Amino acid sequence: MVDVPPRIARQGRGAALAIGLALGALALSTPSRSASNWAIDPARTHITFDIDAVAYPRTHGEFRKFAGTIAVDLEHPARSRVSFHVEAQSVDVGSASFNDYVRSAVLLDAPRFPTIDFASTSVEKLDERRVRVTGDLTLLGVTRPLGVDVEVERRGEGTHARLGFTARARIDRLEFGMNSGFPVISRDVDLVISSEASEF
Amino acid sequence: MTVEGETVGAEGPDTRWSPLVVALHWLAAALLLGLLALGWFMVHGGADAARRFDLYQLHKSFGFLALALVLARLAARRAPGAAPPPAPMPPWERRAAALAHGALYALTLVVALSGWLVVSAAIVAIPTRFFDLFVIPDLPGVGHAQFETATTLHFLAAWLLAGLIALHVGAALKHRFVDRDAVWSRMAPRWPGRR
Repeated sequence: MVDVPPRIARQGRGAALAIGLALGALALSTPSRSASNWAIDPARTHITFDIDAVAYPRTHGEFRKFAGTIAVDLEHPARSRVSFHVEAQSVDVGSASFNDYVRSAVLLDAPRFPTIDFASTSVEKLDERRVRVTGDLTLLGVTRPLGVDVEVERRGEGTHARLGFTARARIDRLEFGMNSGFPVISRDVDLVISSEASEF
Repeated sequence: MTVEGETVGAEGPDTRWSPLVVALHWLAAALLLGLLALGWFMVHGGADAARRFDLYQLHKSFGFLALALVLARLAARRAPGAAPPPAPMPPWERRAAALAHGALYALTLVVALSGWLVVSAAIVAIPTRFFDLFVIPDLPGVGHAQFETATTLHFLAAWLLAGLIALHVGAALKHRFVDRDAVWSRMAPRWPGRR
């Protein structure tokens, strides 16, 4: 008889934050309950990235549309799961023509690869404020392992407790076959996902 | 006592360029000065990545417009009836002016074509969308290896053109305010309904 962990699943535009969410809860080790219900606030959720280029300002971008699911098992952290799906077409780097270029075949190739996906494979608690989520990232149809460090911060008290999450990862775009513009455009893409969730 | 010097010029041959040549000249003046300013600002102006992307795209579109315009100007000044008789000038001045004018046309062509070369050789290959209307293809047979050369050529030719424009403006102002001869009026803007 397999012990089925108590779990919650949340879905929504903001849920990419799942990562943070899930792991955050783990890190803070919410007392006395094996699972707690957390709702992500989409308005406070941002999936952003930064990339450098030679003789060019650092480009900052954000994905506006995403969805995800999260299952938290506080007693067995390793059984927690998180996955998210980001719409490549929703990339926003600050100007319409720049967006078109980033979406085009030379970079995200959004028409061919509409989503960028992440699914966790393991979760490890680093300390009281940080967890490390390891998973598979699929970009341009190529799947590679990715480690994400998540910082958790408790905001507010009592019945209105809120958890802030900041997840950081560095992606080597060459690993996914995104070679265009290299070496003028850096191979490293810094990913920062921030979110806030509240208990209900 | 009625009329003085004014009628003298009016009775002579009309040395003014055709309205089309004059209009294209001032259009080119505005375009080239704008492109030089934009070219400097997009590199040194401190704009963020997105704004800078747009400025580069705008510079490319206006650059191709300048290329089309210089070709149109060369055609227009050769059209029958477009070229007026020369303004009264000493021979050395006429030769210097012809040389400078030829260099202005040549440099405009070099700047525009080297810009096209820069775009074609760029490692970061960004399609040239002419004012978002259609894509202008890259020059064939151009590789990344030519990028440095093309960039240097574009940069030097642009600064040389800026210097030559300054000389051209200075000479025109000299004719207008020092010599007070008919040279300025050959290319002076004229508004419809006014003589």
